[in-house]
Parts: sequence; structure tokens; C-alpha cells
Amino acid sequence: MSSVRPRDAVRRATRAARWAAIVVALVVSLAPVYWMVATSFKTELEAARLAPTLWPHEPTLANYRGLWSGSLPFLAFFTNTLLTCLATAVAAVVVATPAAYALSRARFRLRGVIGYAMLVFRMLPLVVLLAPLYLLLLHARLLDTHTGLVVGFATFGLPFAVWMMKGFIDTVPIEIEEAARIDGYPRWQIMLKVVVPLVVPGLLTTATFVFMEAWNNLIYPLTFITTLEKQTLPAALVLAFTGQFKTDWGGMMAAATLTTLPLMIAFFAVQRSMVRGLTSGAVAGA
Amino acid sequence: MMQRATVRVVRDARRVPWLDPMVLPAAGALAVVVGYPVVYTLLLSLQDYDLLGTVPERFIGAANYRKLLDDPTFWQALGNTAIYTFGSVAVAALLGLALALLTESVGGHRGRLARTLLLTPWAVPFVVVAFLFRYMYLQNGGAINAALLATGVIDAPISWLNVSSLALTAVMITNIWTMTPFFFLLLAAALAGIPNEVIESARVDRARGWSLVVQIKLPFLRNALLVSSLLMIIANFNDFAKIWAMTQGGPGYATTTLVIYVYRQAFENFAIGYASAIGVVWLLLLLAFAIAYLRALRTS
Repeated sequence: MSSVRPRDAVRRATRAARWAAIVVALVVSLAPVYWMVATSFKTELEAARLAPTLWPHEPTLANYRGLWSGSLPFLAFFTNTLLTCLATAVAAVVVATPAAYALSRARFRLRGVIGYAMLVFRMLPLVVLLAPLYLLLLHARLLDTHTGLVVGFATFGLPFAVWMMKGFIDTVPIEIEEAARIDGYPRWQIMLKVVVPLVVPGLLTTATFVFMEAWNNLIYPLTFITTLEKQTLPAALVLAFTGQFKTDWGGMMAAATLTTLPLMIAFFAVQRSMVRGLTSGAVAGA
Repeated sequence: MMQRATVRVVRDARRVPWLDPMVLPAAGALAVVVGYPVVYTLLLSLQDYDLLGTVPERFIGAANYRKLLDDPTFWQALGNTAIYTFGSVAVAALLGLALALLTESVGGHRGRLARTLLLTPWAVPFVVVAFLFRYMYLQNGGAINAALLATGVIDAPISWLNVSSLALTAVMITNIWTMTPFFFLLLAAALAGIPNEVIESARVDRARGWSLVVQIKLPFLRNALLVSSLLMIIANFNDFAKIWAMTQGGPGYATTTLVIYVYRQAFENFAIGYASAIGVVWLLLLLAFAIAYLRALRTS
């Protein structure tokens, strides 16, 4: 009995140390996000105080009202971002799924080349494509349009979607398709009616991922969109900082919170299936 | 007989088509939006091309590449890119690994909640992260200075983003904050994937604590670590949003990475040809690196 006790004490101490470390990690992870939300409810004066206050002493919604009524059309920025990112996600998945299915199942000579190309395209620095894409959109009269922006987003969204969807389709055993094949169904019907229903979670994960990457993108809207009303949120934050919010950190943080919310919802919706998609695609490509 | 057999082999080989119609939409779209720009970049890099169109573009051969060799800012940007990328990825990977090991055995609701909350930083958009940290790094009234002053770590507030020697580190800390959850997520999943029997038999052999981690668990994590760091190295090589929104590459060129430099050359100096040459060099570096990495992955 007495020999067990010291070991119990050691175990309890390890447990306490473990939780202490976890709590520190949690504080470091969450404090900046708290700071953003807390500041968004502070008055302009309080947000700029030399000795910052830990919580808003005079909580106010003025910063959020300012997003509606201020000189910058934040509501338009929000819908612009939402629409272009959704369009990118849907288009990427719709175009990528047949390609991913063929790369996973079909035999053709350029299969290896195209598979590698998807991986290499994924690695391309966007900024290298920027100048030629700019000229391409200019000649196609798509500069300063949302369609042009979606075309830009497709440069990273599409290879990524193909790559990830192939990983998900690879996990579907080919035997499942055999019955349908014997019954003589055409390939695209087998894909749509047999395979796609089985990879719906993968489809949603891929779409969400593309959505998040597009939502995060700054360089394309900053370069391709020149009319302020057509701008997206990330670019608008950068532009606002040089104008309306130069010293108004409360307003800036309200806009930041608005920019964060949709991404956070999307992220936590798919975080469980995210790991599988990321790793399976990466390993399959190697 | 021989002849007929050969004919059949040839015919079988011919029956394998070059392309599958199902890949055509994706391949076609990518040929236009990615393939064409890449080829165009190669051509532009050999030209004197002014985006404003004041001077007609003309081929100047390798002149852009020669200029690049003598451009000190290019070399500084290359160095900054290496420090920014490998520094942030190494630290974030270690922190992610530590978090994965820390939370591994914590079960129940509290454990699950902690694991989910630890992922939060990754769900914050890059531009928001950049401005949030910019606000917290403020010399006057910034939360980080206030916290460090209150705990006595520093005596006077520091202007983190305006001092050349500190700016890159400050941006990297921001980057590490957003990236650690990614490593945590992938490594935690890899840890959970280690077969129970392996852990059990190691326990029977009296492997405990550190020796269990180093000898049994780490080898199992090798691939997850390689894949996740490859993905993040590529992402960081290409990172524009965080650096641009925090410092725009300044002060001076202290936080100018290749992305920032290419962007500045192309859209502030309108030197598209020169920007393209930098882009091509950088593309080759990235490809060489990625191929080496994939080799390492395949041999494991």
C-alpha cells in the first residue's frame, strides 16, 4: 500500500503539469481572438488607450453600426467575398470531381503526367502567375469583375480540389462499382450515382477547403479588382487601414470579426474530415 | 505466329488512350489559367516589359537574369524567405508535436473541448491575423507591450514592427501562431493512428515517458511530419497576405520576402519582365526542393 502512494503522487503531479501546459497553450491560442472581439466592442477612445483595458468598460455597438453606415460599404464587401468564394468552391468541385474520378480509376497514358501536374500546380507561387494572369484577364475584359476574380481563385482551387477529391475517391473500393458496370451503365452515371454519394463528406470538405483558401486570398482581389464597391473583405481591410480606420482600432476589429466569422463556421464544420483529405491526397501524390 | 503476337501487343498498347475525356474540363481550364501564365512568365522574363506601356516591350535575352545576380535586394529577399519559411515551420511543427503529445491521453469532454479550441487560430483569416497582431504589437497601447511591461520583462515599450532587427521575428511569431494548429491537427491524427498493439508491446518492454515517445511514437509520425511540413513550407514560400498587411515588407527591406519583392517590382515599379525573372528562379528553387522532399517521402 505504502509503495503505491508515491507513484500516485507522481502521476497526479504529471497530470497537473500536463493540464497547466494545456491551459497555457489555450490562453496563447485564444487571447488574440478574445482581444479582437473585445476591442470591437470598445469605443474609439478606449481602444486607443495607452494602458489597454482587459474588457470593454463602456461596451458599445458603434463599431458594428459604423460598418453599415460608414464611408466604406462593408456589407457589399461581405457579399462580394461570400459570392466569389462560394462560386469558386462549387465550380472547383464540379470540374474537379470527374477529373479526380478518372485519375483514380481510368487507364490513360497521360495519367501520371496530369497527376503530377496537379501537385506541381498546387506549389506554384501565385505571385509568379500574377502578371500574366493580369494581362490575360485584361485581354478577356474580365479585369475588375467577379468572374475574373473567380478565374484567379481557380488557379489554386482547382488543382487542390482534384488532388483532394482523388484522395477521397481512392478510398471507395472499386468492387462497389462492378455491379453497375455489369448492368452496362455508362461511366459518368456510375460516378454520379454510385461513387459521388459515397464521398459526399469528402466533397463538402474539399469545397470548404477551397472556400477557405479563397476567403484568405489577398493578392488576387488587391490586383484584379480596382473598383472599391467590388472589393472583397481581406483587400478592403488593407484599403480601409490606409483610410477610414487609420487610428480607429475598434472599427478595424469589428471589420476583422466580421471577416473571421464565416471562416470560423466553415472551419469547425469540417475539421474532423479535414485531416483525412489532406494526408490522403498528399500521400497519393507522392 | 510471332508476327501476329507483336501486332496484338502494339494494338493493346494503342488501345490505352492518351487522355480520358473526364479529365478534359479540369485539364483544359488549368492549361488556360495556369499553364499559359507559366509559359508567358518564361517569355516575359526574357523581355523588357513595362506594364504602363510607355516603352514598347522587346526581347533582351538573359539581361533580367544577369541583373538579378547583382541585385542585393534579391539576395536579401531570398535570405528572408528562407528564414521566414524554415524558421516558422520548424517552430510551429515542434509546438504542434508538443501539443499533440500533451493532449493525446486527455479524454472526455474536457479533452475534446481543449483540442477543438486549440485549433482556433487556424480559422482566423490571414489578413485579420495580420491586423490583429499589428494592433497588439503597437508601441503605445499595444497589448503585448502592456503585458511585457506589467510582468517586468521589458522596461520600455518596444516598437516591434518598426525596428529592422525585430520586425522579421515579430512577423514570424504571428505566423507561428496561425500555423501551429495545422501541425497539431495532423500530428494528433497520426498519433491516434498508431496501432494499439505497438504501444502495448512497448509498454510490456517497460518503455515509458520519453523513451516511449522517442523510440516508438516519433518513427510513426515521420510521414505525417514530412507531409505537413512540405505543405506548410510551400504555403509559406508563397505567403503574401500576412507580411503585406503587417509590414508591406518594411522597415527598409527587413521583412521583404520573394513574394513581396516580385509584387513590388511588378505592380509598383511596373517592371514585369524583371519580376517574371525573379519568379522563374524562385519557381525552380521551389520545384527542386519539392522533388527532393517527395523523394524522401517515397523512400520511407
